[in-house]
Amino acid sequence: MPITRVCTPRLRLLTSVRYCPISRGRPYHSYEHESDPPPFNATEEAVLAAALRQVPEHGFTDASLSLGAREAGYLDITVNLFPRGSFDLVNYHLVTRRLALKKALDAQAAKDDGGSFKGQGVGTKVKFLTLERLMANRPIIHRWQEALAIMAQPSCISTSIAELARLSDEIWILAGDAGVDSSWYTKRASLSVIYSSTGENLAHCTAPKPEAMLMSGLLELFMTQDQSTDFADTQKFLDRRLEDVRIVGSGISNLKGYLDFTAHSFINVLRSKGVRI
Amino acid sequence: MLDHATDVHGDGETSVVVADINADMLAEGRKRARASRHGAGARLAFVEANAQDLRAAGMADASFDLYTVAFGIRNFTDPAPALREAFRVLKPGGVFACLEFSKISAPLPLLRTLYTSWNFAVIPLLGQLVAGDRDSYRYLAESIERFPDQRTFGDMIKAAGFVVPRSGPAWEDLSGGIVAIHKGIKPLE
Repeated sequence: MPITRVCTPRLRLLTSVRYCPISRGRPYHSYEHESDPPPFNATEEAVLAAALRQVPEHGFTDASLSLGAREAGYLDITVNLFPRGSFDLVNYHLVTRRLALKKALDAQAAKDDGGSFKGQGVGTKVKFLTLERLMANRPIIHRWQEALAIMAQPSCISTSIAELARLSDEIWILAGDAGVDSSWYTKRASLSVIYSSTGENLAHCTAPKPEAMLMSGLLELFMTQDQSTDFADTQKFLDRRLEDVRIVGSGISNLKGYLDFTAHSFINVLRSKGVRI
Repeated sequence: MLDHATDVHGDGETSVVVADINADMLAEGRKRARASRHGAGARLAFVEANAQDLRAAGMADASFDLYTVAFGIRNFTDPAPALREAFRVLKPGGVFACLEFSKISAPLPLLRTLYTSWNFAVIPLLGQLVAGDRDSYRYLAESIERFPDQRTFGDMIKAAGFVVPRSGPAWEDLSGGIVAIHKGIKPLE
């Protein structure tokens, strides 16, 4: 039985549309709108997909967009379809990687006839999906810091943060979160923070250290070594962050329980002394 | 545009065709072009043409990469045939870009009323005082009022066959909606 979400309707303001985020009016997942039209039309999809293939070599730049337009059979001037320039390319990567999570989860669940997730809680799926999304950055990880710089620009930052919020919502929904209380907000907020910090860690770790490169003299060998160790390190980092959240979360709820009990006891003692509270 | 192509992109081959239905406007354009660095070259051409029927001016199908119209489409008798002609003469992947007065998209109806009253009351008066030409400025105010709003014009552009951005804003408002930039791409097939 699908759980209907209790959500406050978003006020639709008639604001000017200059550089607004994708205004579908819904920054959260909704079961009633699962088959929405794709966020990119055919032309955008063709050009951006081709441009994304150029990113490992040319980075998130207008050069990648032009090359992508040419490869897709369009003219150089067609990049005018993307007034936000390289941010449109970053946004395409973020949206497509987010929408690919569902397939990844289904593929993993279908493996061993559902054995990987049988009997496991929501936490296992959250960890799998977060790792899956981080690993999806692997082909362009050496360009990721450039992408972060683009996302941090004032005209783009609200869209980037909205995308991060949608990603964390998507991960929780796919993992099967059914809560409708205030933990809906805290879960998504904590996952957004963990994901960004782990993603940052991943981006930093993969940049090869120049001194070690000089010492080893074999660039390719060092980079392949670097990547495998660091991705294992990143997985351990993610484990530690998720454990932190669990410990802190349980710590806070214990503290709340303790304070609650103490306050009630205090009031009851005062009442027993005759104070009218 | 030629300066941008030459100085920013190092492109010395791009050429521009300037079209207008009024021969006097074209003459004024030629005069200004002579004073610029591109006036003498072969990269700038002036053609007298009706935007609603460019075939009569000899413009072939799929012969242009970029079609721009700034504060002009409001004056066309019927923008829809002009949009279809733009679609015809553009190459697949070509860009149609239009800068035009539009409706204020602010939430307060008061702002819109103020803007309209200013257009109809003050502008013709200033035109009379400064240029001695009240009628032209009254026409300006009327043509702005008559022109469809951003969403309707965007739909007209789509109806002509253009593809407009879906992942980002479909048009760009300037000065709260007083002026809007619409862009469309001619699809490949």
